[in-house]
Amino acid sequence: MKLYVYCLVEGGVGLPRDVQGVGGATVRLLSGETLSLLVSDFALDAVPVSRENVLQHAAVVQSVLASTTPLPFRFGTLVTEQQLRSYVDAKYEALKAKLEQVSGCVEMSVKIILDREWIEEPATNIGHEKPGTAFLSEKRRELLGGEARLEEAKRVAEWLEGQMREVVREIQISKNPTDKLILATAHLVERDRLKYYRTLINEARQQRPELHFLVSGPWAPYSFANIDLEFKTQFGVS
Amino acid sequence: MSFEQIIVSGGSGEQLEEAELSLLETLDHVLNRGLVIAGEITISVADIDLIFLGLNVMLSSVETAQEVLRKRQAQAE
Repeated sequence: MKLYVYCLVEGGVGLPRDVQGVGGATVRLLSGETLSLLVSDFALDAVPVSRENVLQHAAVVQSVLASTTPLPFRFGTLVTEQQLRSYVDAKYEALKAKLEQVSGCVEMSVKIILDREWIEEPATNIGHEKPGTAFLSEKRRELLGGEARLEEAKRVAEWLEGQMREVVREIQISKNPTDKLILATAHLVERDRLKYYRTLINEARQQRPELHFLVSGPWAPYSFANIDLEFKTQFGVS
Repeated sequence: MSFEQIIVSGGSGEQLEEAELSLLETLDHVLNRGLVIAGEITISVADIDLIFLGLNVMLSSVETAQEVLRKRQAQAE
């Protein structure tokens, strides 16, 4: 029997009531001295990605968020109790530091769409170019379009950061914008400043009516829970 | 699953609350982000077990969300 892991919390945090785990399992607390983990038993070898399971994972994490800020695990984390204890022992300092970093905060997600044609150079000779030339011209237009999109994404990211700087403790920005989604960003915001955060987001939306916003939250700090990258950077391991 | 705030805004500044958006945003968060114990993400999709050393599923949820909204608006018209 393996354990399905939802999130890590500071020791002493109570178990949320009336919440079912993935597969309808009972959620329990694996307590340590200063850190605890919310887990449930899981009999299968893999976790099916279903609407129900995804929502149950999120609901458990969200129920903890009501009283404290947890570090959420990614969906599908299945381990033995021994593996989990080894992981916490090995990463103890980083986990503790990360919990302190996000303490009292929630994550707000902001995604921005700009519905625009990104191929900047008009295709004037279509139909008259030789096949090889046409192919290269198309590739060139794609590259120019990609560069323009990246430039615009950078400008929008800087603008949004400027708008939200005074209310956001930390920012994570997606580096891979797709055609329309030019910016996906996560803001770490102190709970007691959420109202002001919303005011600033609404002001930003009014300033740039050509941009489409999708704002969601508050979330547990999913986007700020990565400890491995920081450890690798800190110790110089590539 | 409910959130305090799910807003989609366009040029007219309209606000919509949509269960579909909530699910897409949830998928984006729980599948793409969060703590990872190396080698221990084990999920199954369509009866095929997939083991990811570093799960990196990218869902362009906003584009999908817009598609949902477009279909809804088309149905309403």
